[in-house]
Amino acid sequence: MKNILLSIITATSLVLAGSASAAGELHIYNWGNYTNPEMIKKFEAANDIKVTIDGYDSNETMLAKVEQGGSGYDVVVPGDYMIAIMLKKDLLEKVMPNQMSNFKNMDPKWVDVYWDKGRNYSIPYQWGTTSFQVDTTVYKGDINTLKLIYDPPKELQGRINVLNDMNDVINAGLRYLGYPRCNSDKAQLKELNSLLLSAKKHWRTMDYSTIEKLTSKDVDLSQNWNGAAMRARLQRPELEYAYPKEGFTGWMDNVAVLKGAPNLENAKLFMNFMMDPENAAMTSNFARYANGVMGSEKYMEAAMKSAPEIIIPASAPAPEFVPPCDQDVVALYTKIWTNLKK
Amino acid sequence: MAETTASIARPVTGKAVDLKYQPGFSIVAWTCLVVLYAPIAVLVLFSFNENRSVALWTRFSLDWYYKAWNNEGIQNAAITSLEVAIVAMIASTIMATMAALVTTRTPPYRGLNLAVTIINQPLMVPEIVTAVATLTFFALIKQATGVTGIGYLMLAHTVFCIPFAYMPIRARLEDMDLSLEQAAADLYAPPLKVFRRITLPLLTPGIMAGAMLAFIVSLDDVIITLFVGGPGETTLPIYILGQIRRGVTPEVNAVSTVFLGFSVIFVTLIFLFGKNKK
Repeated sequence: MKNILLSIITATSLVLAGSASAAGELHIYNWGNYTNPEMIKKFEAANDIKVTIDGYDSNETMLAKVEQGGSGYDVVVPGDYMIAIMLKKDLLEKVMPNQMSNFKNMDPKWVDVYWDKGRNYSIPYQWGTTSFQVDTTVYKGDINTLKLIYDPPKELQGRINVLNDMNDVINAGLRYLGYPRCNSDKAQLKELNSLLLSAKKHWRTMDYSTIEKLTSKDVDLSQNWNGAAMRARLQRPELEYAYPKEGFTGWMDNVAVLKGAPNLENAKLFMNFMMDPENAAMTSNFARYANGVMGSEKYMEAAMKSAPEIIIPASAPAPEFVPPCDQDVVALYTKIWTNLKK
Repeated sequence: MAETTASIARPVTGKAVDLKYQPGFSIVAWTCLVVLYAPIAVLVLFSFNENRSVALWTRFSLDWYYKAWNNEGIQNAAITSLEVAIVAMIASTIMATMAALVTTRTPPYRGLNLAVTIINQPLMVPEIVTAVATLTFFALIKQATGVTGIGYLMLAHTVFCIPFAYMPIRARLEDMDLSLEQAAADLYAPPLKVFRRITLPLLTPGIMAGAMLAFIVSLDDVIITLFVGGPGETTLPIYILGQIRRGVTPEVNAVSTVFLGFSVIFVTLIFLFGKNKK
């Protein structure tokens, strides 16, 4: 009897110890320069887990690598549309973050998102907006309109950079015309096509390196992500981030766990850890975007709390998250884009 | 490279008609050199920039070198790069030496050309094709056996380094005078002894050049590494690539400059070994 009792106690304590400490490894595959090393050290110390971090340069690189299976990674951080694609391909483990203890900190507005309704697979990592930024000493009028890109005033003509990104350029164009996203209406797309072609005459460059373009004064207006916009403003204070009345794109990178992850339990621990306000704030302070965890503002750097690029003004429309379009729409877009880039 | 191009460009025999002299050649050569090296010069310059911009110069500083040196991600990537490059260099040089011997020191046989083509295959096939094929193949093996680790990456690097190591070794073997080896054989030295005492010492410069070329090629590789590398196997070029989308800081310039320094040193050594040939 005593023996049985003892073995039960030992067994229970082993199980408890196992779930509490989960000593071992965790392999994270995230965008390069996007993970705060201090936060990882904190996670390693708290859980006795050795973490490795590798960086990728695009959602597509990550997908190509993990799609084959056996990549060895546990945690990935795909963008919103990429979560939708990976779920379709059955690449993500249903880890039910909505049942985890820290889910109570989750901002309710990020729970029922199009790419993961109810959050059964993923949690927010960082989110931001894609709009544009203008030098307000060069252009003194109202900046909150896409007119500045697609029908620019004299002082901005030839001083514009747009992102070298099909979706960002086409979606903003559709918003300016007032047409819906994922559009296959031939007449509307024809109009879009001529709009883009006429606007392109006033564009100086189509490039991803927005901070360099703006801070070297190569251009006075650039399409930009809000975090990059903040960093550009610190070097060129005249820059202001626009919230166009026609609308603008929102995006979110999400923490998710791969199917067949070698360290599934540690990955879950990490997910829960990331929903702690203090840890989420550590990521924001490093990557310079908002995180979607309530209460994290307390731990954020002062510069982040007041940044007009991060805090969306009440007068602005809500950011729009654009789901991946159907294959035939993508084919039409690609035609327009290729023609534009000629 | 700069010196050879420049000396070709200059007429050798003064005012007399010289068939080797090509009018306009030096302008073309200089344009090529500027286009090739100006971006690198700018990259090196901005690694010494004080602020975090790679486009706006403020003041000279070594801060970014200090930051890069203390960056754990860069440290790990540098160690991984060196480990993989050293293993790939040794393994590929051994195989390339054996391959070079088989393709030059045996009587010609059917399929000799085919063998040479197969050895040089990684040079002809686009790298992305090799990368995707290797990724799929290794994924199958990993899933079937459960064996993981950096060995896969080292193996992949060894394979594409072989032709780079092979070429200088083979060139050296073809240049070498056969009479010394024949004389040794005449004096009843067994083949292994001929190899050890005659062929190998004469071949050493070729082997060194081949090894260093393999080392550099492995160190610089992006595409295959990007696809094949597993968890914790980020090499320096992959680390740099990952930074780009989030904005490049002079930290990357600093690392690239150090990298460039390594490459220049090695290329110089290859050149010097090549020069000692005769």
